[in-house]
Amino acid sequence: MSATSKTPAGIDPRGPRFGAAITSVLLLITVFLALDASTASAAYGLLAVITALFAIGAILGNSKHPYGLIFKKFVRPRLAAPKELEDPRPPKFAQLIGFIVAGAGLVLGAFAVPYGVAGAAAAAFVAAFLNAAFAFCLGCQIYVGLQRIGLIKKF
Amino acid sequence: MNLFIQAGIVLVLVAVATVAGLLWKARTGTAKKISSGEVINLAEIRAVKNGKPVTEFGERVTFLQFSSEFCSQCAQTARLFHELETQHSDILHIEVDITDRLDLANKFNILQTPTTLVLDKNGVVTSRIGGAAKPQTIQDELGSFHI
Repeated sequence: MSATSKTPAGIDPRGPRFGAAITSVLLLITVFLALDASTASAAYGLLAVITALFAIGAILGNSKHPYGLIFKKFVRPRLAAPKELEDPRPPKFAQLIGFIVAGAGLVLGAFAVPYGVAGAAAAAFVAAFLNAAFAFCLGCQIYVGLQRIGLIKKF
Repeated sequence: MNLFIQAGIVLVLVAVATVAGLLWKARTGTAKKISSGEVINLAEIRAVKNGKPVTEFGERVTFLQFSSEFCSQCAQTARLFHELETQHSDILHIEVDITDRLDLANKFNILQTPTTLVLDKNGVVTSRIGGAAKPQTIQDELGSFHI
């Protein structure tokens, strides 16, 4: 139990999943809009907003994210107390990955790479959807793998 | 692009993600039998429990759980094993954080956390559980040790 001593205060695990549900709907709309030339700029704008929201989540964490605040104010009071609290760092890591993937979509879109915006939004959608619907935890699945291939270094 | 094709692509995306989620849900937390006969070296993994190095295996079974820093399911899994351990004196649960132990991640080919190795009383690996262990998986494992 070496990790428990430095673990920050727990959060309601349903908070990040609530946010992921909203994010996955927005990403799905982005994919839809990005597929047609006449709405491609709207898709780009929406993906820019989503990327900014991911940045807030990655830097400030779920509790200060707009969706986290909405959850706290309007959703949580209607729910029973959570069975257990969750470490806030895994969802924060997932937000960072979301930021990187959505940001990559913006870069690809800026260079007019065909289906760059749609592809990145689709990839981010899958992760957000799995998180919302199946409690899939991106940090559990990919953190160690990324470390092993040398993409993440810890000193 | 035709609106119907756009809507079709979006629906296919949702369907693919749903199928992927269902497959993941069915597979995660289940046990795979290991018959390589590999014996765990407690000194090498530097397992610590309650501030003391672990030098002995559980009397019947040891659950060696590998965790990492950004893993919400690791704490849940650890709680589950800890409860078992308090109920049965012959079960030992060891948790090792591999965030700073790439050597162990490579040695045991760990891609996801938690990954739990089930060891017999001699420290021989008998199964491997990838993901948050399902209660049924744990029951089956205990059954194979007649607990």
